[in-house]
Amino acid sequence: MHTAAKNQAETHLLEAAREFQKCMQCGKCRSVCPVFKEMGNELYVARGKNKLAEKIVSGDLQISARVKDAVNQCLNCKTCSANCPAGVSPEHVVLRLRWYITTQEGLGFFKALLFRQIVWRKWPIGLAAVLVGLCQRLLFGIGPKNPVRHLFPLFGFSKRRNFPTMALRSAQSRYPEVIPARTGAKRMRVGYFTGCAGNLIYTNVVKSVVDILTAYGCEVVIPKRQKCNGTPVLANGDYEGARRLMEHNFNLFKKYDFDAIVVACSSCGLSLKKEINLFIEPGDELTAFTGKVRDINEFIHNSLDIKQEHLGPLPYRVTYHDPCHLVRGQGISAEPRNLLRRIPGIEFKELTEAAVCCGSAGSYCLTHYDTAIKINNHKVRHIREAGVDMVATACPTCVMHIQDNLLQHNSPEDVRFVVEILADSLRAAGTI
Amino acid sequence: MNARCITELTLIFGKDHILTELEDMIAYSYDAAHVEVLPEVVVFARTTEQISQLMRLAYREKIPVTPRGQGSGLSGGSVPLQRGIVLVMDRMNSILDFDPANRLITVEAGLTTSEIDRTAVSTGLFYPPDPGSVSFSTIGGNVAENAGGLRGLKYGVTKDYVKMLEIVLPKGDIVRLGNRCVKHVAGLNAESLFVGSEGILGIITTVTLALLPIPEHRESALAIFDTLENAAQAVADIIAAGVTPSTMEFMDNTTIKAIQNFKDCGLPRDAEAVLLIETDGEFHSAQAEMARVEAQVKKNSARQFNRARDAEERDRLFEGRRVALNALASVKPNLILEDATVVRSRLPEMVRGIIDIAARYRIMVGIFGHAGDGNLHPTFLIDMKDREEMVRTESAVKELFQLAIDLGGTISGEHGIGIEKKPFLENQLGEASMNLLRDIKRTLDPENLLNPGKIFDMPAIY
Repeated sequence: MHTAAKNQAETHLLEAAREFQKCMQCGKCRSVCPVFKEMGNELYVARGKNKLAEKIVSGDLQISARVKDAVNQCLNCKTCSANCPAGVSPEHVVLRLRWYITTQEGLGFFKALLFRQIVWRKWPIGLAAVLVGLCQRLLFGIGPKNPVRHLFPLFGFSKRRNFPTMALRSAQSRYPEVIPARTGAKRMRVGYFTGCAGNLIYTNVVKSVVDILTAYGCEVVIPKRQKCNGTPVLANGDYEGARRLMEHNFNLFKKYDFDAIVVACSSCGLSLKKEINLFIEPGDELTAFTGKVRDINEFIHNSLDIKQEHLGPLPYRVTYHDPCHLVRGQGISAEPRNLLRRIPGIEFKELTEAAVCCGSAGSYCLTHYDTAIKINNHKVRHIREAGVDMVATACPTCVMHIQDNLLQHNSPEDVRFVVEILADSLRAAGTI
Repeated sequence: MNARCITELTLIFGKDHILTELEDMIAYSYDAAHVEVLPEVVVFARTTEQISQLMRLAYREKIPVTPRGQGSGLSGGSVPLQRGIVLVMDRMNSILDFDPANRLITVEAGLTTSEIDRTAVSTGLFYPPDPGSVSFSTIGGNVAENAGGLRGLKYGVTKDYVKMLEIVLPKGDIVRLGNRCVKHVAGLNAESLFVGSEGILGIITTVTLALLPIPEHRESALAIFDTLENAAQAVADIIAAGVTPSTMEFMDNTTIKAIQNFKDCGLPRDAEAVLLIETDGEFHSAQAEMARVEAQVKKNSARQFNRARDAEERDRLFEGRRVALNALASVKPNLILEDATVVRSRLPEMVRGIIDIAARYRIMVGIFGHAGDGNLHPTFLIDMKDREEMVRTESAVKELFQLAIDLGGTISGEHGIGIEKKPFLENQLGEASMNLLRDIKRTLDPENLLNPGKIFDMPAIY
């Protein structure tokens, strides 16, 4: 191994040790971990992973298939850290272990290609999105009986999985880099980090964000060449790949003089607010940058002056699911609810266990579909009990996964972003 | 363990309920105590019959078996000291019968204790014992350790609620002890023998518990003191005045400061001690009791006495107590949480003694706990990597136990003896009592195969 790589491997283990040494082994994580609830084996609960890490650090345990299985069975939902009496963040132990394993065993061809090459280049992603999008449209949305599903396992996906339709034209390519404020004097200059899902799948979210912000006096800048925020890359064990992406986006956004940087994806928000601190040299520039990042719900709620008469009626019964990286990652739960409650005509119903992970966890629901669905079944049950037309949330992978499982249950509820619903209401009143 | 045993275990439990890989053994090698021993195989029971078959196999093959609930015990009760089989009970977690008319509930031993209240609350009943681990420990484990909690002062502990037990004895026989009646004297009071037996006499498979009506009203207050003596004396005076609060929690200055550094819970950093007091019952009686508490607190020159006006204020008052352990855990890398207990009238001496021991051995100690029942949690804040400090800590803990015994108390109020307190037990009980305990163990488990090495060691078989 290279000296640099060896040093990095040691750093990962040391950092893991700093966390797990605080563990009192009380077992409280057992009562909150969504994965453990389904697996029923202590190997998969936070203290079990802490213990594995301890044994790896002490040299009593080698990286084995079982170790990797345990380490990969984590949603990074942060429920254990939010409830830990000893203040341990087990997800950091898991991430460090994943990074350590990657330094030992390499990333593998597919992930290396994806994280080190494809995410850096515009045309391969765009092309892939267009190809997938075309296929999806030609095959009529790939219904449950479509034979194309037999090809899914080739890509490591379950045959049963439903995917959202990819956009044929990316959101970023529909807008100029600088979108001027539409009404009155410019009040703020806002950078917008669209995230891949907003750019390539949920383009209506980007439209909603741009329409709302520009209508309320914001000049919106969508810097070209923004890349993946790095969360999926770091979750998959590629420390170096994540560092390069974080550094790229940081350098790109810091060139502008923004009043705020908004994101409409909870994981993008978390990575730009907090996870970036793991990768970028601390200093004033970094503090200034992270201090400007706002989740879109937070920004609209606290910084835009939306008057009650600006909002048109929408005839929905709506509930709200808290994305892990918003509620525990960023401490945001009241803002999206308040935004929904203000909309006339909307009957807001609180969801039972709204802040429990839905099991999507980014690529987890692709690689661990069966467990992810078991976890999500609780969510679907609560949604159906709530008796709503629509589930609002603020994270693309939550939308994707909940929508998939509602379809599996032939349940008619729609899943949408809060900001989309808000934009509809503003449109209904002719505000935007 | 030989392959034939594993095959036989797989036949008994099913392939989805048995683990043998090293990584899984690591996951079941420990609980909340600081001892680790790898089992050779882990099995998950779903029926009493399976456990009976397991014990017959264990006795035939002479394999040690260690029962385990959720592994939250603080004394190492579920650590397989002599390896062998760990029997996990957490998949036996059904509610078998809820009988509100007789205020009884029968559940499988692997049910999480807090789940009992989720069922009982629908008819206005509750299960009073509330150990700190109530949401992540099993009722079987609670019975085996005779778990306590915050409400011990008024409502007692687990043993006061156990009506019936179904138990698999070490050699595999299944017995049902106790009765559903309020009064029952037919036969020995044998079910009590298994309450607090720490899994060495039998495996508890189902439990019938008594429930109580939820009190109509709760009054909560926080009293702040400038001296430890005043706080401790106030506790003694409140009891002497004939009041029985449902909760009377104590926190010392180290704990208060740790809490305030951890999270602002509105506690004054310069206070030497605070008491959190709750009375409950019928509206007027709870209020009248709290008025008498207030009088006793003021008599002991409390600096402040804050009564909560509503549930929100009560939550605010109790917030500090809820995060106390978290807060202390954040002060140093590790902590050792003890549960030495004395009768309430000797509480002032106990508190002074603990502070004196900590000072002599130069160890940080935070004291909090259930002052109302004399069960304090002196918590030593240490760094286990610091060998020299660990040596001092061991001596301090030893002195702490002796202090409790000297004051007529007990070395464990609610966590159990388990592994690390074994050497101190005889000191408290005396030789004759120890012989009786060993005789009971030998009668039920002559080969010493069920959770061997807990509470006391058995002399080698002659």
